[in-house]
Amino acid sequence: MTRTYISRHPLEDLLPLEPGIRAVDHLDIPRAMAIAAVMAMDGEEAAVAAGLAASGDVQVRFTGPGEWLILSQSETPEELHRNLSLLLAETAYIVDQSDGRIVFRLSGPNVRRILAKGIASDLHPAVFEIGTSSNVLCGHISVNLARTGENEFELIVMRSFAVALFNDLRVMGREFDLSADFSAQG
Amino acid sequence: MTAYRLASGGLIDRRAPLDFRFDGRNLTGFAGDTLASALLANDQLLVGRSFKYHRPRGIVTAGASEPNALVTIGKGAGSDPNTKATVAELYFGLDARSQNRFPSLKYDFGALNGLLSPFLGAGFYYKTFMWPAAFWEKVYEPIIRKAAGLGRAVLERDPQAYEKCWAHCDLLVIGAGPTGLMAALVAGRAGVRVILADEDFRLGGSLLAETAHIGGVSAPDFAEMALAELRSLPNVTMMPRTTVFGWYDDNVFGAVERVQKHVAAPQEKLPVERLWRIVAKRAILAAGAEERPLVFGGNDRPGVMMAGAMRTYANRFGVAAGKSVAIFTNGSAGYRTAAVLAARGIEVTAIIDSRTDVSDVAPDGVRVIQSACVIDTKGHKRVSGAVVERCGFEQTIACDAIGMSGGWNPAIHLACQRGAKAVWSEELKTFLAPDVGNGFVVAGAAAGRYTLAGCLKDGAEKAAAIAADLGFSAAVQAQPAVDGEADPSFTALWYSPGAKAKAFVDFQNDVHVKDIGLALREGFGHVEHAKRYTTNGMATDQGKLSGINATGLLAAMQGISPADVGTTTFRPFYTPVAFGALAGTARDEQAAPVRKSPLYGWAQRHGAVFVDSGLWFRPAYFAQSGEKDWRESTDREVLNIRENVGLCDVSTLGKIEIFGPDAAEFLNRLYCNPFLKLPVGKARYGLMLREDGMVYDDGTTSRLSPGHFVMTTTTALAGGVMSHMEYCAQVLWPELKARFCSSTDQWAQMAIAGPKARLVVQALVEDDISGAAFPFLAAGIVTLKGGIKARLFRISFSGELAYELAVPAGLGEAVADAIMEEGRAHGICPYGLEALNVLRIEKGHVTHAEFDGRVTPDDAGFGRMVSAQKPDFIGKRLSTRYGLTAADRMQMVGLKPVEPDQHIRAGAHLLREGAKPSTLNDQGYVSSACFSPTLGHGIALAFLKSGRERYGERIVVWDKLAGTEVVAEVSSPVFVDPGNTKLNA
Repeated sequence: MTRTYISRHPLEDLLPLEPGIRAVDHLDIPRAMAIAAVMAMDGEEAAVAAGLAASGDVQVRFTGPGEWLILSQSETPEELHRNLSLLLAETAYIVDQSDGRIVFRLSGPNVRRILAKGIASDLHPAVFEIGTSSNVLCGHISVNLARTGENEFELIVMRSFAVALFNDLRVMGREFDLSADFSAQG
Repeated sequence: MTAYRLASGGLIDRRAPLDFRFDGRNLTGFAGDTLASALLANDQLLVGRSFKYHRPRGIVTAGASEPNALVTIGKGAGSDPNTKATVAELYFGLDARSQNRFPSLKYDFGALNGLLSPFLGAGFYYKTFMWPAAFWEKVYEPIIRKAAGLGRAVLERDPQAYEKCWAHCDLLVIGAGPTGLMAALVAGRAGVRVILADEDFRLGGSLLAETAHIGGVSAPDFAEMALAELRSLPNVTMMPRTTVFGWYDDNVFGAVERVQKHVAAPQEKLPVERLWRIVAKRAILAAGAEERPLVFGGNDRPGVMMAGAMRTYANRFGVAAGKSVAIFTNGSAGYRTAAVLAARGIEVTAIIDSRTDVSDVAPDGVRVIQSACVIDTKGHKRVSGAVVERCGFEQTIACDAIGMSGGWNPAIHLACQRGAKAVWSEELKTFLAPDVGNGFVVAGAAAGRYTLAGCLKDGAEKAAAIAADLGFSAAVQAQPAVDGEADPSFTALWYSPGAKAKAFVDFQNDVHVKDIGLALREGFGHVEHAKRYTTNGMATDQGKLSGINATGLLAAMQGISPADVGTTTFRPFYTPVAFGALAGTARDEQAAPVRKSPLYGWAQRHGAVFVDSGLWFRPAYFAQSGEKDWRESTDREVLNIRENVGLCDVSTLGKIEIFGPDAAEFLNRLYCNPFLKLPVGKARYGLMLREDGMVYDDGTTSRLSPGHFVMTTTTALAGGVMSHMEYCAQVLWPELKARFCSSTDQWAQMAIAGPKARLVVQALVEDDISGAAFPFLAAGIVTLKGGIKARLFRISFSGELAYELAVPAGLGEAVADAIMEEGRAHGICPYGLEALNVLRIEKGHVTHAEFDGRVTPDDAGFGRMVSAQKPDFIGKRLSTRYGLTAADRMQMVGLKPVEPDQHIRAGAHLLREGAKPSTLNDQGYVSSACFSPTLGHGIALAFLKSGRERYGERIVVWDKLAGTEVVAEVSSPVFVDPGNTKLNA
């Protein structure tokens, strides 16, 4: 018997926070995202970095020396894996993390003040520039933080911590009436 | 009525009256008042009872150094004990109560202690309540504790919310007085990222209580202008109501912001207090200086107050501390206060000056008595006169308040919190902070520059230097001229001789001069010893007023310089901080993050009862209706797996993907058993040792392709193994070409175990998984019907025919549902950790209950797995040391009670029959135990000396905790299917 399996997001039962309400400070959570961990082979770090920088459609997040998380909104996990394998053939190892990582996008005028309640890093625009990403602790939870815009940040967290991080972000954003919902585009 | 509100003046809003309560009395103050200024305005001089003698005490200061005016604010669970009235901002409806009194502040039974005071000197309790020893804890201490003490700690749950925050800046300026404001202005104008923090609710510091003019405007107006400019600078952040309490490594400062302590109806979405960690490239300490109290007879009587505080109450709050005020001073500051009071229409009855031939000018008509000291005070609950001694002649001067001014103590605490010792300045007769490096600079009055002009200049210059250092160009403009500058000079007076009453050094802990003398006589003369012996400086005010005086007294009593006595050690916190603020939001559900398996929802739907397992919540068992307890559910689950099939969530086990041409070699060195030749498509059980030869962790590792392995670790050590591997790769074997990353969260992994497991799994999987095609320890990628790629491993923890199926986490619940559906015909049931544990004990499989860090592979029966051929692996060298190969090491065995209805519990020890329980006679211990539903009696795994040679022997299982002794028979640890026929089916 052929079966159809439906994927479930860990925040399925928790979103939206308050239906119909979107505050200026908002937490946007994509339901599905293709994510891959890329690890450069020994000596290929620079080549992989250059290859990733040249690939237009994906977002590149730095996770450690010679290691990145690659995010794609337009591809399926399989497509991303295949395209990266072609792009980085013989220079990198690729591991699918599409189900292993959950993405949170935080935007609004008060995002830095919200994040300062959990993250010790200096997020001043002159210090943590747009495009910067880094592994940091948010409270007790390890996340990869990226600045995606002037007042936009993205947090990537291990799936098992998604609900815990979501609850932390709710508390952190309480002062600014932070709203939260799944992304409109999917 | 003596203390009263002046008809005009002060930085209070007289159009905004605020009703509040003190000890049940309805009183009124104004916006801009502190609780202390409002109490004084209402002539409520008596605010507390002292710690030991229960002496009546009044407000002494106008700031954070206050030792006496400690009150409890608020009601019930949310009340705050030991709040300093001198810094508590008045708000409508504030409800404060005095402390340490019974039945009331005016009439206090505890004051009897005062009558006994001749016997209650320093060390009295230690010397007296020594016998019998047991009485100290049970009788004496509780009684003493009840009598002493300040506010009562609230034992209920704190209903208030707190939070913690990080802040970053180039320059942190601590204190918003003249020095801090100038520093912030100069740095801010240069573009430096500045944070200006001040504990007061109104920024301006001493400028708010100052009568001098700066650049032609009044001091408070000057402060307002500076603040207005600072507010216009986007790179400057101002943090009022924020006490910087600690200086820590890497120039991180701890600060607590009182966000909603001053509001009648706190907003729910805001915390009441916020703890800040401020990461500062540089910092300036501009905390000013404390006026030093004078130590004279009767100096603790309500109405005796710091002269500077009187000036602050008059100028900033428009409150007179008394109608006729005597000033006792050893310097010019006393004259300054006298001038302010006289200008405000308050009668100054006399200035008593300990110095001779002074040039200071008293206000018109005020009598000055030079070379004189106050030796006692009159009155009871408030002062009514000062007994003044001059050249052997005494006179009593009627007054209702006494202002005392004994010089200045710079507030250097923060700069000395990281080990630097304060240094004595002979010139300034006080202690200054030493150079603590360019990260933290002391400026203004805190650096001994007491004049207003000096403060403005010092703040500006030091900020400019820091800005330049950080690469900003800062211009130091000419400082505005100061008109009405005060003279800060004084002559040190540590003790005014001839006291006819107790002369207090530490008001809050009731330490007086004689106590210090006693400490010295009894050999506790070192300043740190004297502190502990007398408790001087150990109260909640941490000796802000008393510390330097104690040093001065110890020096004077020995005829040495205060430089040779030194100060006690400065430590965080500068002022007390609520535990709630330190915890922030990390309480209740937020105390630790919960990790949820992708199958959490599935387990919930099947009635799982969860158990904490590290940060994870894992199903312990799946209760069915009618089952009375966990044992009943567990027994059913175990029997069903032995007979049919079961499904268990094993997603929490650590999974690590390992790649590279040297991945096999990397694993070969990591594990004690060989991995070099593991074929593609196979899983192998691996044992990881620590360097000391003990087992660290275990799990299976499978080879998915020649250069790709996937490792599983135990749930508990998933993170530990990962960092261990990082260490090995980065430090031990950087030459190996291997890379790895965790994929624990990517996969939902399910164990399907039982004789009917293959039927269930085959129904879902397209590939052939027959015994021939997919034998025990096979591993590979399969396709689920419907097209999903999954990983399948034929491994078994239960000893049954078993598979572990891994699917992308998001699909976990859907696939688990499908397995349950396919398994229904075969009697499938979900099972939890309890059943998993019983199944593996029955099979003699180990977990961290066995691998507790004291066990070698051989101890656990894996001796033959350890490779003798491999040139090296972690743990190889130390595995051969004598103690680890000894013949009488404890080895893992099975135990079953001789009487089948008896129970064995883990943790029990093993003894030979007839032996007395003792360490010497200890034969081993039980590591795991359970009731085996398969066998119908209890079983256990245990470690027994030379255990493998002793199968069949009877041994006593001695359980002191349960109070039982059970005779058990030693056996092989494998109770079920020792021939592995089920496993290989």
